[in-house]
Amino acid sequence: MAFSSLTTAAPNVNPNKSFEVTPSPSDSISSLSFSSKANHLVATSWDNQVRCWEILPGGSSQAKAALSHDQPVLCSTWKDDGTTVFSGGCDKQVKMWPLLSGGQPSTVAMHDAPVKDVAWISQMNLLVSGSWDKTLRYWDTRQAQPVHVQQLPERCYALTVNYPLMVVGTADRNLIVYNLQNPQTEFKRIQSPLKYQTRCLAAFPDQQGFLVGSIEGRVGVHHLDDSQQSKNFTFKCHREGNTTEIYSVNSLNFHPVHHTFATAGSDGAFNFWDKDSKQRLKAFSRCPSPIPCSTFNADGSIFAYAVCYDWSKGAENHNPATAKSYIYLHSTQESEVKGKPRVGAGRK
Amino acid sequence: MGKKKKRAVEKVFCYYCDREFDDEKILVQHQKAKHFKCHVCHKKLSTASGMTIHVLQVHKESVTKVPNAKPDRESTEIEIFGMQGVPPEILAAHYGEEEDPSAKMPKVEAPPLVGTTVTQNPLGVGFPPAYGAVPPVFNPALSVRPPMWPMLPRGPQQPWFPPQQHLSIPVPPAVPTLAPQLQQPLFPIQNMIPGTSAGMGLQPAFQVAAPMPPPAVSQPLFPIATSTVVSGPTNNGSSSGLVNANNPAGLAGVSGTATNQGLQPYASGPDTRGPSTGAPPEIANKAPTPANQLGTSEVYLVWDDEAMSMEERRMSLAKYQVHDETSQVSHFSLCFLSNAPFSVIYCTVDFNVASKIRYNLLDQIYALVRKLDFLENVPP
Repeated sequence: MAFSSLTTAAPNVNPNKSFEVTPSPSDSISSLSFSSKANHLVATSWDNQVRCWEILPGGSSQAKAALSHDQPVLCSTWKDDGTTVFSGGCDKQVKMWPLLSGGQPSTVAMHDAPVKDVAWISQMNLLVSGSWDKTLRYWDTRQAQPVHVQQLPERCYALTVNYPLMVVGTADRNLIVYNLQNPQTEFKRIQSPLKYQTRCLAAFPDQQGFLVGSIEGRVGVHHLDDSQQSKNFTFKCHREGNTTEIYSVNSLNFHPVHHTFATAGSDGAFNFWDKDSKQRLKAFSRCPSPIPCSTFNADGSIFAYAVCYDWSKGAENHNPATAKSYIYLHSTQESEVKGKPRVGAGRK
Repeated sequence: MGKKKKRAVEKVFCYYCDREFDDEKILVQHQKAKHFKCHVCHKKLSTASGMTIHVLQVHKESVTKVPNAKPDRESTEIEIFGMQGVPPEILAAHYGEEEDPSAKMPKVEAPPLVGTTVTQNPLGVGFPPAYGAVPPVFNPALSVRPPMWPMLPRGPQQPWFPPQQHLSIPVPPAVPTLAPQLQQPLFPIQNMIPGTSAGMGLQPAFQVAAPMPPPAVSQPLFPIATSTVVSGPTNNGSSSGLVNANNPAGLAGVSGTATNQGLQPYASGPDTRGPSTGAPPEIANKAPTPANQLGTSEVYLVWDDEAMSMEERRMSLAKYQVHDETSQVSHFSLCFLSNAPFSVIYCTVDFNVASKIRYNLLDQIYALVRKLDFLENVPP
């Protein structure tokens, strides 16, 4: 190929040769969720839609259903039985959509400000939603009133649940840890180990701690137990040239089987890491647009990520006419996601 | 290759502090932020002389040295903008030094490399992303790989540290092949590679050995972090003393974290205090904890708004404020005249209300008005 110019905008929108999910949403994607029971993928978007696809073996996707909100949708999650999807967004509501049975969506939660994150806690049969109205509300989907309203010090920016561990990241860089067996009390409130705004969280599969990602291209690994504090560390990622541009880490996802994790950033790249051996397992090519969200499917064989503008450079860099949004599926290889023993140690 | 590379392909560098950058635009930003910035009001000027004149006229102070410059480059007389104005002898010295190690590296490196390829795997010590943390990292490398160590002291060691920070773009793709082979050597060599663009010449040498190791690449990243953790506590120990003196409630993240349950310093403890330019004043990385501040690492955050998240910024767009997206007019007024002289009832309905509600409202208004039957001009 002849390079006619040295522009950084690579014409290749899919440098990792991932499978594309079609039809792609018309505006940026805010969240992706896979069902825990089947390969059903839900994507929420700034075009007010919640769409569901069935991902067939082989990588092709079939659009199944779509739901409209009145305003951009910011978050989504599946119920653990794989039949219902909860989606929340700027219309300050969370809708419950029993899409597998073809049921109609209903509103199950209301906040005073856009809902940033939702999570379904199967052990308690409750939905928890975090919003920019500085509250965390627990909902029994059959009642209009929340079961409990938990005040947060600031707007909720990120939420992660792995029963009984729940961590909420707020706008003032506080990370509030809750023990869901006692949800009315904050278990611990710490200031983020990262010096910059919290962007995303992910709870360890073994609930011993969590990962926190910030806008400054850094991820912190934090253990809850004070005795394990020596294992806490942070590392830098999603940076270009190390002094030129530092991108936000938009998404952290643990692989359900191997317990390694993936990070996705505003630089349009995603990486797989192993926190126990402290290595990066695989780095992928940068896509021309940021990756605002990503997720693994239930068995970890598919890594879905969206490539679209995440507003990291403000409104000026958004050109609605040319902006495209894509959802890609990467078929994970064992070598990419399986943890490796710490190299250099234990090798004779 | 025996050919001399064209100067244009070499990385641009800053005359004042010798740091290298990928392109001139970034170099200019760096100069403005580090060397041409007024220390009183933080206004960024475009040249050193511009900055001195500003400080003299506005703050009535004389500036004799360019801030953050190396000792022999502090003169405010020389007019530098990006790469323009750099004296030829400086250029030659800078680029000339770069080429030396590259010429010598391949020969010396290759044999020991080949021998050690399979035996050891990446120590996981360092890797381009080891940005500001390089200096401490060398210690482990030193103890493990003495044969490699002597390579480093050779010649242009210095230019490597700063330059190595920026050159990670080309490196990552190359790394997968490099990492398996050069375990510790990975360490010192990596610094060389980024440091010298002529280091590209090194890579072919490595790729010779590339096929040997298994493709499984573990690209160590964290370990640098851990090694600094080791040194971290000592740093943080002293700094937390400093920090605690500051208002712990302050947003300087360090103070918060250091005082909270003695949280273990994040591996890049010293580093995180350093980066400051992109951050808004609240983070206050600049002022407190000057003791450990690594002023050299400059940060340019793509998203640097601490006050709101990207989604909030997007939502603040006007188009998301309007509930009824089709409405253009903001409101319309109804006017009812009453029989009583000179009395008019105005009723204004805002179009921003969703249309359904709007029409309901209108119906209700008309119904109410009809009850006040002294009014005229009431539409049916």
